[in-house]
Amino acid sequence: MRIIVIGGTGLAEQVADALHRAGDEVTVIDTEAGRESALAKAGLRAVRGDALVPSTLEAAGALRADVLVACTQSDEDNLVISLLAKNHFNVPRVIARVNDPANDELFDQSWGVDALVSPATALVSMIRQES
Amino acid sequence: MHVVIIGCGRTGRALATRLDAEGDTVTVVELDDAVRSGLPAGFRGRLVPGNGISPRVLEAAGIAHAEAFVALTPYDSANIVAARVARDVYRVPHVLARLHDPARAPVYTEFGITTVGSVQTTVNRAIQLLHHRTLEPHQTFGNGETLLVRSRIPDYLAGRRVAEFNVPGEIGVVELSRTGHSRIPEPSTPLEGGDVLSFIVAAGSLGRLRSFLGGKWS
Repeated sequence: MRIIVIGGTGLAEQVADALHRAGDEVTVIDTEAGRESALAKAGLRAVRGDALVPSTLEAAGALRADVLVACTQSDEDNLVISLLAKNHFNVPRVIARVNDPANDELFDQSWGVDALVSPATALVSMIRQES
Repeated sequence: MHVVIIGCGRTGRALATRLDAEGDTVTVVELDDAVRSGLPAGFRGRLVPGNGISPRVLEAAGIAHAEAFVALTPYDSANIVAARVARDVYRVPHVLARLHDPARAPVYTEFGITTVGSVQTTVNRAIQLLHHRTLEPHQTFGNGETLLVRSRIPDYLAGRRVAEFNVPGEIGVVELSRTGHSRIPEPSTPLEGGDVLSFIVAAGSLGRLRSFLGGKWS
């Protein structure tokens, strides 16, 4: 699959790396300068730029991507990127990360989000189920 | 009218203060405790702490009966998200948002959000003041891309016809004032010395209009 991951550090980087190892074609968009070489060393294609600018998403191959993962540390950025991916680029599957569980309710189809990943909410529900 | 403003920085405070003075009811939403001060002592509006993208916070700010919503946080994406929630979820009739990074303007356009305070507005205004002082606009549209300009026609242009000023997509003559009477001229109307014309002009064509009025026809 052709997958675009937005966000260069932490969870985003680990997800991109794992998908790449599994044989997917992964492109990472990151605003930070100087990370391209580290990503390239890991075998990942890197695009440096602002994913809130449509031309950056296009340069990363959004028009032919199967999946886009909005995984920055800003919920607002993730929402706007998700809607751009869905409305402007028609990406079939858009997955977004929620950083602040208070924002869970915003991440739905009205923002182009097909699935959300909310680590805090997932952890809390796991604890509730086990107790 | 009831206005909800998110972002209590310099612009948010100034707008809230002004609207309050003009008799509107104002609620300001601000996330940052440190910023949440500086409203004048006599301010009659409310201040709601919290994140302006949260429906719960927006409801506490009275968004359900707001007639206007202005997103003035320092973050483009927060302004876009809040503006879109205000418009699409709460059906607020008038929604404006601040645009910071001009590279992100296409996103605001794509989502149909009217912007204020953009870099482009400032640049257009600066160019206007530096290059086209003699063509003071009566009205600007959008972010200053289109202007309504009035100018007295110099005597040496008497006898020219209105159509000679019209450049499709750039300059159009929309009104003619002569001896105190105003009318919408025909393209064939000949001009007289002392006429005042109203032009609708693209910002990029102000130089061309100025050359016309200065007698340079190319």
